Amino acid sequence: MANESTTKTFTVAALLAIVCAIIVSLANVSLKDLQRQNQTLDRQTNILRAAGLVQPTEKVTGAQAAELFKKSAAIVVDLQSGEIVPDADPEAVEADKTNLRPLDKADDIAGIGSVPKLGVVYLFFNDDGTLDAVTLPIVGTGLWSTLYGFLSLHSDYATVKRLVFYDHGETPGLGGEISNPTWDRKWEGKIAVDKEGEPIIAVVKGTVNPDAQGAASMVDGISGATLTGKGVTNTIRFWLGDNGYGPFLKKLRFDEIELPAPTADRKDEK
Amino acid sequence: MKQTALRKLLKDVGEKYFMPGKPLAKLYPLYDAADTFFFTPDARTSGTTHVRDCVDFKRMMIFVVYALIPCLLMGLYNVGFQANRLIEAGAKAPLDWHGSILNSLSHAIPVYDSSSIFGCFVYGFVYWLPVYVVTMVVGLFWEILFAGIYKEEVNEGFFVTGFLFPLICPATVPLWQVALAISFGVVIGKEIFGGTGRNFLNPALVARAFLFFAYAGQISGDKVWTAVDGFSKATPLSCAAGGAEALASAGYTIRDCFVGVIPGAVGETSTVACLIGMVFLLIVGIASWRVMASMFVGGMGLAALLTLCGPDAVAARPALALGPQWHFVMGGFAFGMVFMATDPVTSAATKIGQYVYGLLVGALVIVVRVFNPAYPEGVMLVILFGNCVAPLIDYCVVQANIRRRMKRLETR
Amino acid sequence: MKFSESSKDSFIKPLFKNNPIFVQILGVCSALAVTTSLKTALTMALAVTFVTAFSNVGVALIRKVIPGSIRMIVEMTIIATLVILVDQLIKAFSYNLSKQLSVYVGLIITNCIVMGRAEAFAIKNKVGDSLLDGIGNGLGYGAVLLVVAFFRELFGFGKLFGIVVFPTVQNGGWYVPNGLMVTAPAAFFLIGGIIWLVKTCNKEMQDAE
Repeated sequence: MANESTTKTFTVAALLAIVCAIIVSLANVSLKDLQRQNQTLDRQTNILRAAGLVQPTEKVTGAQAAELFKKSAAIVVDLQSGEIVPDADPEAVEADKTNLRPLDKADDIAGIGSVPKLGVVYLFFNDDGTLDAVTLPIVGTGLWSTLYGFLSLHSDYATVKRLVFYDHGETPGLGGEISNPTWDRKWEGKIAVDKEGEPIIAVVKGTVNPDAQGAASMVDGISGATLTGKGVTNTIRFWLGDNGYGPFLKKLRFDEIELPAPTADRKDEK
Repeated sequence: MKQTALRKLLKDVGEKYFMPGKPLAKLYPLYDAADTFFFTPDARTSGTTHVRDCVDFKRMMIFVVYALIPCLLMGLYNVGFQANRLIEAGAKAPLDWHGSILNSLSHAIPVYDSSSIFGCFVYGFVYWLPVYVVTMVVGLFWEILFAGIYKEEVNEGFFVTGFLFPLICPATVPLWQVALAISFGVVIGKEIFGGTGRNFLNPALVARAFLFFAYAGQISGDKVWTAVDGFSKATPLSCAAGGAEALASAGYTIRDCFVGVIPGAVGETSTVACLIGMVFLLIVGIASWRVMASMFVGGMGLAALLTLCGPDAVAARPALALGPQWHFVMGGFAFGMVFMATDPVTSAATKIGQYVYGLLVGALVIVVRVFNPAYPEGVMLVILFGNCVAPLIDYCVVQANIRRRMKRLETR
Repeated sequence: MKFSESSKDSFIKPLFKNNPIFVQILGVCSALAVTTSLKTALTMALAVTFVTAFSNVGVALIRKVIPGSIRMIVEMTIIATLVILVDQLIKAFSYNLSKQLSVYVGLIITNCIVMGRAEAFAIKNKVGDSLLDGIGNGLGYGAVLLVVAFFRELFGFGKLFGIVVFPTVQNGGWYVPNGLMVTAPAAFFLIGGIIWLVKTCNKEMQDAE
């Protein structure tokens, strides 16, 4: 059969490869912008949900998110010193894979191995320019998987505004309930750190007894998910502690550093 | 042959209604079950094989139920005892319908008194009986349905399954969950493989595993093990991750665990009751002593080996240092060893296979208990795993035997 | 366009009598992974239907010029192209679904149904028939996916297509979600149950003993 000749084999293979390559690259090029927008919007939505500006089930469009982000500022913080790094680009810092500092086993309560040297923090402002919320990206180990989330504090840098976990692989119905808004809501108004700024918040077993000492810093556990709850406690304590955003938050709290202005205002200056 | 009135009645009813062509022919299995429950069937094997033994399948199953009675009695007492101890310590008495029954009983019987053995027993009975009734009704429904489909008689295997299942549940298990679980256990664990004798998994354990995975939030954790309202007490096993010190600080002693006055599944807490059952089973020769012995050796041997771990490892994982004395009396080890692993249908059948199977199950239980962060108790899942590999073990033993004999033949 | 009896067959048979999942037992792995909710199952069903339909068309179009020595590679290339296309489209137009489906859209390429139909049918049949065969198989696969997903989402989360049917206790309702349904083994039990039911009701489908 003529089909089996070497020339024909190569011709068919080459033609097919070219046609397929064209289809694939066309699709990739033409859809890339849309895909990137989707990714950004997804991340922004998570941040806005954590900041309490968007409700858990509410959907936002790109334009709405951009509008809300006008009243915010993404700043880069040197985690160890707690100082703001003024000229760093948050996106570049987030993408930088070398931006890591290995952790000692004793310090690594969140079980993440290493911590970024520079961290990105999102600040959200009220209309009058006062701070509404500070939103921190957090990551830690649950029972089976790594938990990714955002924790927002009120402008006293001690009270939780909202907690959101957007990605994890815990057992659905048990540990997986950490991403259930009903549970996340229980964090609202809890006191995360003590007067010196040391983290004290914890997930307890069962429901919190409102009369217990320190009940304002305790959150109801999820039934059947004690170990995931422990992971959440450790994750939050780590990121609010000395190896996380602790130094930065303490400086803010005791007025040692000044906050930058919202993104929109800064653009006006230019 | 002289017939008693009952014999005559059963026979008449059978011929009138249940024989082929009669109105209730479809329900023949139900009639047959009732008939043979009262009288040993007079049918004889018709082929060339003849085994003469007065212990037929039905008697064998009844013996297992007899052996379980110490566990049941002890368990019922313990359910009430645990609850009353907590109530005396300030917990609320149950508020649901169990509570209403207990309240109305409390006029006549001291159900809320932890020092009254009878009162505690009645307390436990109020929790256990509904679970048992639901298990039997739902389970028998499926049994009869499938007996009709397969055109076989209803089999007594279910009496054991139905007796075992409530004993490995917490007393507070919701009844609708019991109904779902036993349906799953009987249908998926047994009937789809062709019924008793053809199942490769223990149906009671399948039902328990269903509960464990489907309603993990209700069935695990600390709240479920005690029959009081909204009060939790950690079982020894959930303290065990913290080592012997955590157990001691929770107030558990080896003696309490051995006797069975600890929170846990209804029938599993008392090691001593399991041992009484074991002695009975061994005397009547129903359960395999090989499985029991090797499971004991496998589990306790590994537990003893693990105590040899260095102080660093123990500091990181205190459960390593617990040792056999704790592992044997905690959770369902003894119960699993005596009643679950020995199930003649689902365990290994060859003699060597039984040793291997027992060692494997025993050792794995300890591995799960000590090294797995999420499942403090491994007995149930490990025995199910053992059930899965039992045919493979038997296959290997049989093949090895064939090879050995072939060799012997060749060298001759 | 008129279709012959045999083309009708190639469309209808895979829907039930020769269903890829419960008769041919193909594509079961993805059926376990994407059936926790109806939305993902539907997306997956459409994606697979798209890929089987057009890979069948592609293969049938050039079936006369494909050299036998590189036959399977050619089929594979066509399938891979289509799978990438679907993956890119879902990522661009339905980002949330693409996150839930994660790698499983990309893994359609390893779905035995697609390759199986190209190799067993499209390589020796006309374009029209191949298209129908592709759609039929995709839909047959999709139908089982949807049935499985219906039970898993309803009993596992108390929802259908994300809409609350049984309010769960976690959210203050009465329904206690069944955790087993959320795990992959539930899909095994359900698919096994479907096979059991179908074969019991259809004597002709039973395996010879």
